[in-house]
Amino acid sequence: MGTGVAEHETKHETLPARPPELAMHFDNMHQQFHSGKLGMWLFLGQELLFFCGLFTAYAVYRGNHQEMFHYAHYFLDTKMGAANTVVLLVSSMTAAWSVRCAMLEQRKGLLITLALTFLCAGAFMVVKYFEYAHKLHIGAVWGNGFHVQTADLPPELLAKYPEMTGEKLKDMGVGSFFAVYFCMTGLHGLHVLVGMGLYVWLFIRALKGHFSRRWYGAVDNVALYWHIVDIIWIFLFPLLYLIG
Amino acid sequence: MSEATHEHDHHGQLPGTIGHVSSWQTLVKVLVTLLILTVVTVAIAQADLGRLNVVGAIGVACVKAGVVALWFMHLRYDKRFNFFILVGSFALVAWMIGYILFDTMLYQHNVQDYKRDRQAPATP
Amino acid sequence: MAGGGVVKPAAHDKPRKHYLNHVKTFASWLVTLDHKRIAMMYLAAVSFSLLLGGVFAIALRTVLWNGAPAGPDSRILGATMEQFYNKMFTLHGAVMVFLFIIPGIPAALGNFILPMQLGAKDLALPRVNLLSWYLYVMGLCFFIAVLVFRGLDTGWTLYPPYSMGGGSEGQRVWLSLIFAYMAVFILGFSSILTGLNFIVTIHKLRPPGMGMYDMPLFLWALYATSLIQVLATPVIGITLGLSLIEHMFHVGIFLPEYGGDPVLYQHFFWFYSHPAVYIMILPAMGVQSEIMGTFTRKHIFGYKAIAWSSIAIAVIGFLVWGHHMFVSGQSPTAGIIFSFLTFLVAIPSAIKVFNWVATMYKGSIDLKTPMIYGLNFIYLFGIGGLTGLFLASISTNVHLHDTYFVIAHFHMVMVGSTVNAFLGGVHYWWPKMTGRMYNETLGRVGALLVFVGFNLAFMPQFVAGTRGMPRRYANYLDEFTVFNQASTIGAYILGSGIGLQVIYLIHSLFKGRKAPSNPWGAASLEWQSESPPDFHNFTKPPIVTGAYDYENWEYESEEAGWHLKQEVIDTGKTLSKVH
Repeated sequence: MGTGVAEHETKHETLPARPPELAMHFDNMHQQFHSGKLGMWLFLGQELLFFCGLFTAYAVYRGNHQEMFHYAHYFLDTKMGAANTVVLLVSSMTAAWSVRCAMLEQRKGLLITLALTFLCAGAFMVVKYFEYAHKLHIGAVWGNGFHVQTADLPPELLAKYPEMTGEKLKDMGVGSFFAVYFCMTGLHGLHVLVGMGLYVWLFIRALKGHFSRRWYGAVDNVALYWHIVDIIWIFLFPLLYLIG
Repeated sequence: MSEATHEHDHHGQLPGTIGHVSSWQTLVKVLVTLLILTVVTVAIAQADLGRLNVVGAIGVACVKAGVVALWFMHLRYDKRFNFFILVGSFALVAWMIGYILFDTMLYQHNVQDYKRDRQAPATP
Repeated sequence: MAGGGVVKPAAHDKPRKHYLNHVKTFASWLVTLDHKRIAMMYLAAVSFSLLLGGVFAIALRTVLWNGAPAGPDSRILGATMEQFYNKMFTLHGAVMVFLFIIPGIPAALGNFILPMQLGAKDLALPRVNLLSWYLYVMGLCFFIAVLVFRGLDTGWTLYPPYSMGGGSEGQRVWLSLIFAYMAVFILGFSSILTGLNFIVTIHKLRPPGMGMYDMPLFLWALYATSLIQVLATPVIGITLGLSLIEHMFHVGIFLPEYGGDPVLYQHFFWFYSHPAVYIMILPAMGVQSEIMGTFTRKHIFGYKAIAWSSIAIAVIGFLVWGHHMFVSGQSPTAGIIFSFLTFLVAIPSAIKVFNWVATMYKGSIDLKTPMIYGLNFIYLFGIGGLTGLFLASISTNVHLHDTYFVIAHFHMVMVGSTVNAFLGGVHYWWPKMTGRMYNETLGRVGALLVFVGFNLAFMPQFVAGTRGMPRRYANYLDEFTVFNQASTIGAYILGSGIGLQVIYLIHSLFKGRKAPSNPWGAASLEWQSESPPDFHNFTKPPIVTGAYDYENWEYESEEAGWHLKQEVIDTGKTLSKVH
């Protein structure tokens, strides 16, 4: 029950010995587990609101500059975006699977799924690196810095609009698109990096045998975080890469 | 996911486990569903449907997000309050985006006028 | 005789071990996970911020005694007098809002009291709690860095493009602005973590047998506050994160010359900062509910109405941010909708005031220091709230926007209500937190000085504002002299009232009378612990009594405190036995 006080009184009489993982202000492992999980869910709620600012910026700039967004979306490579989507979806499954392994106390399976999740996240960042590098190379950047030569424009764009030039795009304010693009994917990428760090941490703890069927809150909560990172990408991918 | 898989989910659960164990079959099915939906959203985007493209993209994304939340994130088996947190956050996100978009569209003509005035050559 | 949960130490015993002295090293404070110690560290930190912000206020009111002499000749601290004034009002606003009022009541008083009112041992997530304090201190350090690096004069709202141009000092304050963004960003996360922790604690550590409607109203208020903290604060995080990037790389989200939209910044900013004013006022209303019940010795009137009006304020608070933007580029249609929605907030606020007044009706009112603050609260909140309606209606708002009327209005609510409740709460729980009684006479004198000083400082501003004196100007026309000088005198009196409190409260730590476990006859669970509480909060399981059932307690003159009646102890259930 809710007060630690009861425990104070009856420690040696009625309650079973307290597991070493149980903090002094909780009564049982269930209460502790669900407290951590509720905390994580609230954190995820604030994550959504945190990203919400960027989605609003996207909506506002897109809503008011539809033509420019149409041209700009040719700069993003659908294949790379789709590849990254698949990689993240797979990692989401391995993350969910790692929770299953932790609950079933399958140590080997846990280590494998944690490692796979980490590797998928790494693969995501590698693809992201190539995308960023290409854009920075041709000068497809934010604000007034946009300076793509007409020769460097995406072939699909030139095929459909042969008269399009880099100058025209710049005057149209295509820098706003890249501001939104880099801020959204950048913040998302930052979250992926944090997730990778967390998976390294979980892997080390799993190696040390820290987790059990009653004590796997860390695996579960990090997986929840990872799924929300996935969900955000699920929205980013069509909004940025697909619709023009 | 059917009742049968639900039954299956408890297969192999150790005594005293906190929470609900998903079967690996469920996880694979969910992943396949998500991949199919990804293909669907790419396919929809290839067709030129005008405004419907946006609706389709966001609609499919919402379905995908729902699938991830219900199965991968266990919301189907979790405390209902956690579900409310997610739904409440999404509602707030929708309110913020919707209202700000609504307002910026309304004042946009002022911005356009301003830009035009600045570009026009100064007249005495 | 020992009342419920109270063990009276015999005189010859060694000093009782409690949370303050069970370990004494300085390091034990820095790594503590005990909510009571973290609360005390928060109390120290927010009090420091209050005094810092107060010094800025005194400085800017001093400049306004005659208005700053124009031109570059009069210089102070490396800036012209006008720039100095601009920096003072900017820093006064920023420090008071982000470092004092937002964390003040929840993080300092709430941290201490919330688990105890639930009969729990700690907050659900103690490490997160400590992390939130460290984030707060980091934010404070960044603000001090702003001060050291030339300060800022952009106004606390940091509106672009003016702010990113560096205000009147241009790019010389480039670094200060980065520090300011960092500070607010970090403080936001400190606030989110506190709110998150409170929600988890109320859900998961509320004992069986204590339903939501059995909780003291302070907890309802903190719950509503926490909802806003968790759901609104991330928006200011992303806003200032984007501003930081915009400021450093000119990406073109907010700055028009790079293709950005400055009105979007205002939308984002107020999406947080309007709900944030309810982060400021809701916990204050919670403290007020506790004080009104205790010092009228009457069950609080309209419990459920007060409880749900807190939630209603939290929800409606998300729907009204645009009333800060009536004259700044927002579309008229949006303005009209926001104007209408803003009126709605007045309803739950008024419900609370009616209930407090009804609680006092035929109560036996005891004018102890916290109660004087409680009365100040009702009076000043009434004025602050009603003048809010003037500002909510779009047509009067256009006239009054950015005048001293607005300044006076929000100070009535922020200072008149929140600071009063903060001071009232500090006095109310001071015996519990420190184990010492403060000097009651000086306490009352302090409360009266605050009341008189405050009214003298802000009532004239209503008049000056309606006559057209704009805010944020270092000079004014001669016709406003009398209002400004009265206001400055008021500010000094208010400052002296707070200064007096600092002196006698610190004095009481060393020389004050030892506090009984329940000096006021309050009925919520925290008063069943000893003063100061044991490390585990309760030495005996508390007995379940209604949070406002004052008839369960009786006064004992020997220890000058209250204890549970014997029959309650005999027949009552302890929290450990309810399930």
